[in-house]
Amino acid sequence: MLVNGWIVLVTDFKQLIASLVESDVEFIVVGGLAATVHGSARLTQDVDVVYSRSHENIERMVTALAPFEPYLRGAPPGLPFEWSTATIKSGLNFTLTTTIGDIDVLGEIAGGGFYDALVEHTIVIDLFGHECKCLDLPTLIATKRAAGRPRDLEAIAELEALHEEREGQ
Amino acid sequence: MKPKSDRLEPDPVIEAYKKDIDRTLLRENLKRTVAERLANLVALQELAEEARRAGERVDRPRD
Repeated sequence: MLVNGWIVLVTDFKQLIASLVESDVEFIVVGGLAATVHGSARLTQDVDVVYSRSHENIERMVTALAPFEPYLRGAPPGLPFEWSTATIKSGLNFTLTTTIGDIDVLGEIAGGGFYDALVEHTIVIDLFGHECKCLDLPTLIATKRAAGRPRDLEAIAELEALHEEREGQ
Repeated sequence: MKPKSDRLEPDPVIEAYKKDIDRTLLRENLKRTVAERLANLVALQELAEEARRAGERVDRPRD
């Protein structure tokens, strides 16, 4: 988004979450935002969610995010990318940029699987005034470990330290 | 695939990273509510963005 001629990279977490919740999208908050919920001190700049792959839910998610013009993050402009139910059904995980910030909509995550497998490992939280599901801390750690990305090592160490601190409380 | 959220075996690489974690920050965060943690994240993001823009203003050649 542009403000006074500057490209602004601040993600409107509140609006993105509100749009999904108000459209009754079934989703689970994962990634850096979930880490913040659990007490992480690290800065995250996008919203990561795992969404249910049912046809109806995909339709709701497409409708919820459509006003923010989702486009493939990092892709050159002008690609024939259409934000539609058909597109989401033919793919799985999408890293997107929108007019209000970046969002990753994931059909599946490493070490965690699909929405239906993850949902029993969630806690219900109040996120910007909206009740939604967030991956619990042990599962968040397990999925990050399973992803095996070197850039996650510090984040995993922090999450495990948080888990130890919580158990010590 | 089922998530494996049982207690995981310590990973020596992660344990090495863990030594450098500032636990005082984590303890302070754990005293906060979820809403306070989120408000802090938003404030941090705005601060980072302002710092980035300030850096761009310095780098941008004057007309």
